[in-house]
Amino acid sequence: MNFLATSIESLGARFVGWISVGYGLFAFAGRAALLLLAPSTWNRATYDVVIKQVYFTAVQILHVFLGYALVISWLLVTIILSTAREFGLTEFATEMTIRVLVLELLPFLTALFIALRSGSAINTEVALMRVNNELDALAHCKVPPMQFEFLPRLIGGVISVVALASLAGLLALLLAYLSIYGLTMAGLSAFTQTVARIFDFRIVAGLIIKCALFGLAVTLIPVVSGLETPRKLFMVPVSVLSGMMRVFFAIVVIEVLSLALKYI
Amino acid sequence: MAALDDSVARVALELPLRANLTARDNIALIPLYQRHLNAAESTRQAQAMLDGLGHGDIAGLRDPDMTPAQRFVTQLARALMLKRPRLVIDRPGAMLYDVPYPAFIQRLAARSEIGGTWEIFDFDWNQALYPQ
Repeated sequence: MNFLATSIESLGARFVGWISVGYGLFAFAGRAALLLLAPSTWNRATYDVVIKQVYFTAVQILHVFLGYALVISWLLVTIILSTAREFGLTEFATEMTIRVLVLELLPFLTALFIALRSGSAINTEVALMRVNNELDALAHCKVPPMQFEFLPRLIGGVISVVALASLAGLLALLLAYLSIYGLTMAGLSAFTQTVARIFDFRIVAGLIIKCALFGLAVTLIPVVSGLETPRKLFMVPVSVLSGMMRVFFAIVVIEVLSLALKYI
Repeated sequence: MAALDDSVARVALELPLRANLTARDNIALIPLYQRHLNAAESTRQAQAMLDGLGHGDIAGLRDPDMTPAQRFVTQLARALMLKRPRLVIDRPGAMLYDVPYPAFIQRLAARSEIGGTWEIFDFDWNQALYPQ
């Protein structure tokens, strides 16, 4: 009986914890959205910090990211193409490549890439800022932390994931064309027709929304997780650990929801 | 102390500098966000403040690279940049453990061109350090 009560209590506490984390995330996102709409937010200082964030998140890693996208795309295009040839389904290879690689896998891998590189850094930095009272110091100086530290990171994350996933997608399309038709213009008409048929308005809008949500997840969750850190230095690794787990969970949920909406 | 109103600028151990910004950038945040000046003018004012306190050479240092005295000067410059009527230095001994601090603060106060009242809150047992 005692065991049952303890189990129910523990389950209840965990459930309340999830609700409170979810509420914290949505409340922070709401505050950020309200601030985005305020004209006073859009001053020179905010623009400068946003540009810096896009540079650190996307431009600085561009060559590494494109190399990584090139290798993954080449491998997958080769696998899809050889399998399609084996089963006599070569005419579906283009569509298969676009659906698997450009619409699903590359945006997902881009989000994971940014989460591992920038999300973990954001989580650590915000947690350290909180532990060291740097946020209180900014508040004392009337420098709004949301405007100076957090909002630019959210905007930078969204812009970076959308831009990098688009670049990786274009690279994959180019590789797919070269792998299927080689260095000739002969297949261009059939290829572009397939691309145009798949990329209707609904699919393009869905892809952009999915990438934007990925971008939001890999920045918003680390920021909120960092802000929840108790003011003890030894809690920083725990904060990063739980933050990154939540990011991974959120990325998987967004991907599963997007697949369900598209294909079920 | 934390409940002091907006007319007070504080220099305190629990109000540290932003660790990934240089001394100059920490100070420049205030004109940038409060007075909406552009980045160049904010940086110029921050540098002028450090020069005024006789520590212009620390402008490019980040918090972990500063000595306690350099860190204190940067925090003081940031507080002065707020241009509030009162300046409170809270337990300077906790921040200035590498210099004889009453004399050090007095020298800084003599150099500063910004007026207003400077108040030092310190422990009773340090009273003997201050000129009576």
